[in-house]
Amino acid sequence: MRAYKCLRPGRVGPFSGHNWPIGEWVESDGAILCMQGIHACRTTDLPFWLTQELWEIDLEGQVRQERRKLVADRGRLVQRVEGWNGASALSFAEDCAARAKERAERATGVDAGLLRELAGDAAANAAKGEAALVGYIAARSAEVDRGADGYVEERLAQARWLAAELRLDNP
Amino acid sequence: MLISEDLTCRELVELVTEYLEGALAPADRDRFEQHLILCDGCAFYLDQMRTTIAVAGSMTEQSITPEAQESLVRVFSDWKGN
Amino acid sequence: MAQVEAAEAELVEALRAGQESAFAALLREYHASILRVARLYVSSPATAEEVAQETWLAVLNGIGRFEGRSTLKTWIFRILTNIARTRGQRDARSVPFSSLGEGASESAVDPERFAPVGERWAGHWKSYPERWDTLPEERLLGTETRAHVQRAIDRLPLTQRQVITLRDVEGWEPEEVCSALEISETNQRVLLHRARSKVRQALEGYLGN
Repeated sequence: MRAYKCLRPGRVGPFSGHNWPIGEWVESDGAILCMQGIHACRTTDLPFWLTQELWEIDLEGQVRQERRKLVADRGRLVQRVEGWNGASALSFAEDCAARAKERAERATGVDAGLLRELAGDAAANAAKGEAALVGYIAARSAEVDRGADGYVEERLAQARWLAAELRLDNP
Repeated sequence: MLISEDLTCRELVELVTEYLEGALAPADRDRFEQHLILCDGCAFYLDQMRTTIAVAGSMTEQSITPEAQESLVRVFSDWKGN
Repeated sequence: MAQVEAAEAELVEALRAGQESAFAALLREYHASILRVARLYVSSPATAEEVAQETWLAVLNGIGRFEGRSTLKTWIFRILTNIARTRGQRDARSVPFSSLGEGASESAVDPERFAPVGERWAGHWKSYPERWDTLPEERLLGTETRAHVQRAIDRLPLTQRQVITLRDVEGWEPEEVCSALEISETNQRVLLHRARSKVRQALEGYLGN
């Protein structure tokens, strides 16, 4: 099945440090049980794992659907999602920061102060293009505003933004 | 992550050893790694920890002193002679 | 793996046949490690040397009985830990605890480094730790750096010093350490965590200058 993989510059795994080849099947040889498997993202998972490079990946063998990721026996990088770059990361962050700002502006209750601070944090980090971090701050502001439902909706909005902007599979 | 599931940096540094040992439960490992994506501070800390371990691992001086060698060769000769 | 086993079987045979070169090879391979590990149990370098000598004698006396059910290394170090532990107990060594203590609520990092409870980023770094990946490798693996790490390890409470030495310096597997120190895997991990945290902190203090 087709999924997505977030990598550091140069196709480097963010936790394994592993250098991913293109077009070659990679099998995880993790000796420790919970480190086995190739990790990949559905579109809905992307906001949690955003790094500098986004790649399409083919997954083979047994594919486990976990809460925030897919785990497969084998994976093969297909091609880079070229649309994901510094400019789109900045746009993503600005979009999240805008929602955080909007929440802060219409807030009236006890949380108004906190929402304003979070909106400020989001804006400051958006200026630096910190996509994953701003996504997190925006999700946090959504949770302060409307609880778990707010959180889920914000993360979904982020995934939808990515799907639309990068023309990915719809979440 | 929901705030209730959130891992703070302070919590993360307590989990670093378990993470490196592969001993974190899958859900905790996810939270750990998701935090690393967001937080340069913790990424630097994990790198510092890995470096510390690497320096410790490079300290294995393998040589034996001539004196020790001499006295142990005598032990060997005695043993062989018996 | 089969290659290693074959080489080992050859060495054992040569040793049994009384070949000094085989013994010399074993000394080159293991003596320094044996000294370091012995030093974890006994109070002086001189005693550690005696323990090492006793160990080699026991190895020579026992090589005829060695069946190869474990590796030679495991067998040698099992002999060593038995001798070292007995000698350590006989020396009636009072376990020296460092002034930092073995408190149940030790933190890996000084809590002051994190934003306090009540702030919106409570628990997050006030300021990030330094990047070491940009430091030149010669500095990180140089003699001075290693000396600082060794000193930090030497200052640890006994059990923490044992675990970090066996795991990180000597490269033993977790099961080997648990077996040698007669502690559970969880206990081993906690000790390793505390030890590594303190050594990292010491190294940070040195590299920060």
